[in-house]
Amino acid sequence: MKKRNIWAVSLIVLTIILALAGCSQQDENKIAATKDDKKVFTFSWSGDIGDLNPHTYFPNEFFSQAMVYESLVYYGEDGEIKPWLAKSWDVLEDGKEYIFHLRDDVKFSDGSAFNAAIVKKNFDAVLANREQHDWIDLINQIKTTEVIDNYTFKLTLHHAYYPTLQELTYVRPLRFVAESAFPASGDTFTDGLTAPIGTGPWVLKEHKENEYAIFESNDTYWGEKPKVDEVVVKVITDGESRVLAFEKGELDMIFGNGVISQDSFKFLKESGKYETKISEPTATRTLLFNTNRETMSDKNIRLALQHAFDKDAVIDNIFYGIERKADTLFPQNLTYTNVEVDPYAYDVEKATALLDEAGWKTVKGKEFREKDGQPLQLELLFISTDNIQKSIAEFVQGDLRKIGVDVKLTSQESNTFWTTAFDGHYDILFTATWANPFDPHSYLASITTDSSGGGPDYYALSGLSFKKELDTRIKEVLLTTTEEDRIKQYHQILTMLHEEAVYLPISYQSNIAVYKKNILGVDFLPQEVEIPTTTIDMKN
Amino acid sequence: MIRFIYKRLLGAIPSIFGLSIITFLLIQLIPGNPVLTYLRVSNIQASEEVVQALRVKMGLDQPLIMQYVQWLANVLQFDFGTSFISKRPVVDEMVLHFLPTLQLTTVAFLLIIVCSIPLGVTSALHRGKWFDKLTQLFAFSSVSLPTFWLGFLLMYFFSVQFDLLPVLGKGSVVHFVLPATTLAIGYIGTYLRLIRASTIEVLEEPFILYAQARGLKERTIVWRHILKKAASPTLTGLGMSFGNMLGGTIIVENIFAWPGMGQLLVESIVNQDYPMIQACVLLLGIVFFLTNLLVDILCGWLDPRIRLADDRIK
Repeated sequence: MKKRNIWAVSLIVLTIILALAGCSQQDENKIAATKDDKKVFTFSWSGDIGDLNPHTYFPNEFFSQAMVYESLVYYGEDGEIKPWLAKSWDVLEDGKEYIFHLRDDVKFSDGSAFNAAIVKKNFDAVLANREQHDWIDLINQIKTTEVIDNYTFKLTLHHAYYPTLQELTYVRPLRFVAESAFPASGDTFTDGLTAPIGTGPWVLKEHKENEYAIFESNDTYWGEKPKVDEVVVKVITDGESRVLAFEKGELDMIFGNGVISQDSFKFLKESGKYETKISEPTATRTLLFNTNRETMSDKNIRLALQHAFDKDAVIDNIFYGIERKADTLFPQNLTYTNVEVDPYAYDVEKATALLDEAGWKTVKGKEFREKDGQPLQLELLFISTDNIQKSIAEFVQGDLRKIGVDVKLTSQESNTFWTTAFDGHYDILFTATWANPFDPHSYLASITTDSSGGGPDYYALSGLSFKKELDTRIKEVLLTTTEEDRIKQYHQILTMLHEEAVYLPISYQSNIAVYKKNILGVDFLPQEVEIPTTTIDMKN
Repeated sequence: MIRFIYKRLLGAIPSIFGLSIITFLLIQLIPGNPVLTYLRVSNIQASEEVVQALRVKMGLDQPLIMQYVQWLANVLQFDFGTSFISKRPVVDEMVLHFLPTLQLTTVAFLLIIVCSIPLGVTSALHRGKWFDKLTQLFAFSSVSLPTFWLGFLLMYFFSVQFDLLPVLGKGSVVHFVLPATTLAIGYIGTYLRLIRASTIEVLEEPFILYAQARGLKERTIVWRHILKKAASPTLTGLGMSFGNMLGGTIIVENIFAWPGMGQLLVESIVNQDYPMIQACVLLLGIVFFLTNLLVDILCGWLDPRIRLADDRIK
């Protein structure tokens, strides 16, 4: 009767809507069509790949830059420097001159030749914007760049800077784009590239901003070619959505650090339907104490906090053991970080004794300790969208309450968080070391500079009486010439930082990988930010 | 009628002008310094000279009123400046992201109309019967469901478990089903109740009884008399909702990886991309105005009393 008509009209309209909505159907078909005859590997990332320019930073992603652009030398297992675009090199003048012998069989993906001239052009383009890259000390050390002959390139430094080769392995900014990619002005930093053309195993085939990027295998690649034909990177911002897309089969792999919740990882692992892997520790999740604050400038307080925090509870309850407990600022498996120090054990009695010694006494009828009538309150700053930081912060708050310390939790969205962190408006801050290949030397170097490319550590540690000495030592170690010297000096620096208790290491972060059972070759690469796209293969 | 439309359009101009002032000033209220923010996100050392040079380049050394005039002049030429992050014109980014959101919102919006009108009218005609009770239950539960939870539930069941629809992303027609449903369900609950209420009100009017007495067909009564009269309050609400939905797709876009305005806006806020935030807010505001304007005109067309009353005031 009457209602039947309304329903009928509604149905017709609904059909029309769906038909109208189909205007962009082609895209999906295109992806689907390529799947039939090719090996297409799909994974997701939380943001867009950016404009694929190796000479710039955000919004570029490390992994995508590394897929398209290559370095002179490669950071191998255990930090071993391997030949890459340079097949060999000579170090002259006690480490002040580097002569690179380039491979002669490398071509950019547009067919143009890779030679010493283009290496120099890329170096010079980066050096033209020196200030933007000064978080890498090598940039400041470079005096001249020279073309010796077609395949020989020479780098002259101001000082014998030992991490030179290591810093040349970085994903940015010292990697190479083709002549045709340079903008008319030649300034790749300000004006960007005309096209993302590199020498790497992958070529960008298609990019739809904030939706997906498709990379195809580079036919003219000089090295071992990728095993799959195409890699599709889908942009999925939400971690839970990522898990559902993976379960549905729309993704072949989930990879990275913090890309899904610990609960989801545990769930996927226990389902038994997928393969899972956890990498060796890459970086350290740590709390940083602001020694400029009066309370925190007291070493006894810092020590008390070290002893009062029950790390094991956090490892068990938040990380389910996925991240391992950290007792030192850097994971012990990195070069120069294997330092023997006594870890600060969980010991509430010791913590209370230290607070008493520092003059912070318990007051009858009050929950928190006081000194000269002031309650002991510390502000802990964390990133509001980071659920792990939030959960840990609550544990810290609970643990410190037990020894009479009031912890005020302050959350800020990430940009404001870093501004506040650099300005030093906090007592305790969440931070993390930079992982391979930046740890330990680049991270420690950042402590000595207030550059915005550095970290909040410079200001946080500046309340220490021996800060100047620490800075000098770090600068010295970077210019050491013998391995023995270097080991000794790193040992001293790291012991110093440990004994002063300015960092409270919580856990060692790892990359995780969850992938379908038909995927092979998922091995973690030495650089934390790289994704093993070239070794991955798919069984049918 | 044309006169009525003309007057409404004219009336919108001061509102949009006011909106532009508010948008401009809002940015001034945000803590932090745009120059320093720009330098930080660009990874450029903030030396005194650089900051000063950039202040002049961005026109921030001018008095506020001049800054506004300059900004407005640019905006009128569709020049919203350059994004701090992508370094591309803001307009390009907005067009790229606005379209997917507009598509999604339009589909959801039509879904609301198509579902809530028949449900509302039918339950009013069958007041107190089981169908009415069922829709009432649906209305209450749909309004109470949090969007993100509903989104994940739909994803889990329709996509992962039963493998009927794609989980997320944008592409074909079927990609619209889950996000549009998630976006629409809460509104459907609200509007079916609203339509039910206004239909019942109309049903009790003497002219319906008269129409029945005249022996008109039920169909004619429902379509020509009840719906037309009951539509007016619903339309006003829907107009507001359309604007709300455009701005409120943020959660849905995030969950379903939909490359729209919501994602752009959130990203811009997180990165303090001032020109982008400004442009997004202004655009959403204008769309809000325009939909309301459209609703006003539609209401005037549906109900002559409104446009006549408007004329009489003058």
